[in-house]
Amino acid sequence: MPSTAAAAAAASSQPDDLIRRLRSSDGAVKLKALRELKNQIIGNRTKKLSYIKLGTVPDVVGVLASSVGIDSGSALIVESAAIIGSFACGVDAGAKAVLEAGAFPHLFRILSNPNEKVVDTTARSLRMIFQSRLAPKYDFSKNENRDCLISLLNSDNENVTGLGASIITHSCKTVTDQKILSGAGVLRMLITLLNGSLYQREACLEALTAMLSSNSEVISNFVDLDNGRALSSLINLIEDKSPRTRLLASTCLIVIGRTCSSYLQGIELKNKLILILIELLEEPDRVGDEVPFAVANLIADREDLQRLAFEANTLDKLCDFLQRETLRPKRFEGLLLAIAELCSRLESCRSKFFSLKVLNLVTDSLKHDSADVQTAACICLRNVTRSVKKLSAGHFMNEMVVDPLIQLLQDSSTSVQVAALSVISNIVVDFANRKSIFLRCGGVKELVRLSQSMDPTLRLNAVLALKNFVFLADNSSKECVLAELTVSTLVSLICEPKVQEQALAFVRNILESGINSVEHVFTEDGIIVNAIGKQVRNALDLNVCIEGIYALGNVATGNELHKEAVMSQILEPQVNGPSQSVLIKFLQGNNSQLRVGAIWCIINLTYPDGPGTSSRIAKLRDAGVICQLKKLADDPCLDAKFRVKTALLQCVNNSCAK
Amino acid sequence: MSLFWIVLGQPGRLQEMATSKKLITREEWEKKLNDVKIRKEDMNKLVMDFLVMEGYVEAAEKFRVESGTEPDIDLATITDRMAAKKAVQCGNVEDAIEKVNDFNPEILDTNPQLFFHLQQQRLIELIRDGKVEEALEFAQEELAPRGEENQSFLEELERTVALLAFEDVSNCPVGDLLDMSQRLKTASEVDAAILASQSHEKDPKLPSLLKMLIWAQSQLDEKAAYPRINNLSTATLEDPRDL
Repeated sequence: MPSTAAAAAAASSQPDDLIRRLRSSDGAVKLKALRELKNQIIGNRTKKLSYIKLGTVPDVVGVLASSVGIDSGSALIVESAAIIGSFACGVDAGAKAVLEAGAFPHLFRILSNPNEKVVDTTARSLRMIFQSRLAPKYDFSKNENRDCLISLLNSDNENVTGLGASIITHSCKTVTDQKILSGAGVLRMLITLLNGSLYQREACLEALTAMLSSNSEVISNFVDLDNGRALSSLINLIEDKSPRTRLLASTCLIVIGRTCSSYLQGIELKNKLILILIELLEEPDRVGDEVPFAVANLIADREDLQRLAFEANTLDKLCDFLQRETLRPKRFEGLLLAIAELCSRLESCRSKFFSLKVLNLVTDSLKHDSADVQTAACICLRNVTRSVKKLSAGHFMNEMVVDPLIQLLQDSSTSVQVAALSVISNIVVDFANRKSIFLRCGGVKELVRLSQSMDPTLRLNAVLALKNFVFLADNSSKECVLAELTVSTLVSLICEPKVQEQALAFVRNILESGINSVEHVFTEDGIIVNAIGKQVRNALDLNVCIEGIYALGNVATGNELHKEAVMSQILEPQVNGPSQSVLIKFLQGNNSQLRVGAIWCIINLTYPDGPGTSSRIAKLRDAGVICQLKKLADDPCLDAKFRVKTALLQCVNNSCAK
Repeated sequence: MSLFWIVLGQPGRLQEMATSKKLITREEWEKKLNDVKIRKEDMNKLVMDFLVMEGYVEAAEKFRVESGTEPDIDLATITDRMAAKKAVQCGNVEDAIEKVNDFNPEILDTNPQLFFHLQQQRLIELIRDGKVEEALEFAQEELAPRGEENQSFLEELERTVALLAFEDVSNCPVGDLLDMSQRLKTASEVDAAILASQSHEKDPKLPSLLKMLIWAQSQLDEKAAYPRINNLSTATLEDPRDL
């Protein structure tokens, strides 16, 4: 179709022809090609990517570099700098290509050009690059860099001051960076620039947030500036006319409040902040996308703020937005995270969540295309499933919730897998005894698979989920888990430092219901009991000792053989410690849970009517255990005191009976 | 039913009688107005703001010289803004895009909605000119990828392409896209985006003040009878009607 081809050629020339003209020695031809390229790529991601692939970026940087210092070079610089900035804008591959082509030093040098239009475009272009995460970190510890930054911030040109602010936002990441900049008087400069144009103000607010983030020292420098006037002007800005300014000022204030809560004390200010953020949710663009993250950040780990937010109907608003159509992934993720934070502690929030009927929507989003949305959905589910009321009603143990979660266990991203495990850990607790559903859906198989993953975090979280699954489970479920897991894997998990606490708790839960279950762990010559004993004797971690002694105590509920095995484990002297047994050590210990665990163990070993009970009591007496028990008759921990009485009574009665 | 209405109606009427409005005579009113001081500089700024926002470059330049009022925007940029706006109004969308990019390359790169609307306008103009094949190719090459990035763009794109399906476009359900009003809508988006890039509000202040005046008068109407401004263009005070 010749007519179409001709039309297309007229509308925009072919890429290879354009690139050829870019390389022309004729300045006019070059300029025309640059302008065409610029107008093709601005706003057009697809075009940017295709020109990047064709290797156009180095050509453009070449034009930029060769146009400095020549007559009539300004127009070429303006066009090529604009193109470089556009390539870097919103496209990672573009930022990478621009950096690799060495555009950075050229652009910085051009900033001192006398032509204002040249400086404007160059500063904008550099800012675009600094807005990419791929831009190199600007090293503030170098004197010349610091001087350069200060001179940018001192400029009369707001594109240049904006660049200075963007450099701070991009590169000020460590406490050292923050201190260097604060020491160089940058805080005061930024505050002054807040009075400028909207564009400059917003750039400075972002820079300020970067400088104050998690740094109480710099925050107090900021608060002390001009007798607190800097802080109050920031507080004024949360009510600014521009939505973006309101958001950025709120974000900055949240950062201050998270580190130094005393500066965000008044209930009025907190309420105002919450209401402003709720109102900003309505913003259609980037601002609206970022607001839910600010909400989540504001209320994270702060029950007082969660309560205030709840009272301001934040949850209703967030859930209302969640139900709207065509949500961008970013906003979707943020909404889920904000809901998650709200439901992280308050049961009232969780019941409201269920009454708003969005659970299905959240479980559906487990199947979303974006991994970030999936992770956020998991975090949200994890927090709402903390509701014991709903858990005990078996609310979550159904295929609709379980199936997509098990699917996520096979995800290629570890963070998605870990997030899914955290939800599963909650829902498998299920008091309603519908655990068989999880088994039937293949969940246990997946958990066992992940308990042997190469990634230690996955192993830990998988074992934690298995531990919760066998909690109060029926015998057949426990048998299935053990058969799937195998004794040798369990032994190696018991011996693995970071995982062992959960593995021991798993054994403890398996053994919770009588002699049948003890048989489960007593296969293969009791290698599990031996492993537990060894860990208990050697462990330095208190929680490992507690889980271990409780697990042994549960083994001691078994038959004579089991009891004898436990006896030998707990009376054996410690390997590298003093010659006393681990049992004595625990009874003497400061931790009451540990003492109670040890006493329970003795109660189970000396339980009346066993053929070997007398001999065990004799052994315990010889090892000084009974003597140590007597010392605990007045234990400050009531539980321990009560159990000691039972244990001593059993020992005394046995001696009398003889 | 009617009885009920009468009972409800009663208190309203009583109230009306109780609050007889205050009468303010012309003399009193003018005296009050005379006491209000307005600075000349403020007036000049409002006028300058109006000239700048409406794009009267030469008038603004003369006014700057004569009144000594400095505009808060470089006057040269008004011409650029007006040229971009005008190009859209005339249907030269490509030209408008070039002008916006020359003015500030960041605008269309960071404002996907405006970029899409300009491309959509380009498509509309191609369809208007009967360039069907070119229109289809343009929609596929330039607009379809934007639709993939954003669901609402896709819906707008579908609506626009639907223009091609009708024999008589002037009389079809999506015919409004071909109206002059569509061009004006896109043009004012361009105008607003350029102003925003200059950290400027998108509306002049004078009309807002007049709106405020109308609102304030209607508030006052409930409490008093006073010389009112009914015709904004003459701003004459009209005597209150006798109560």
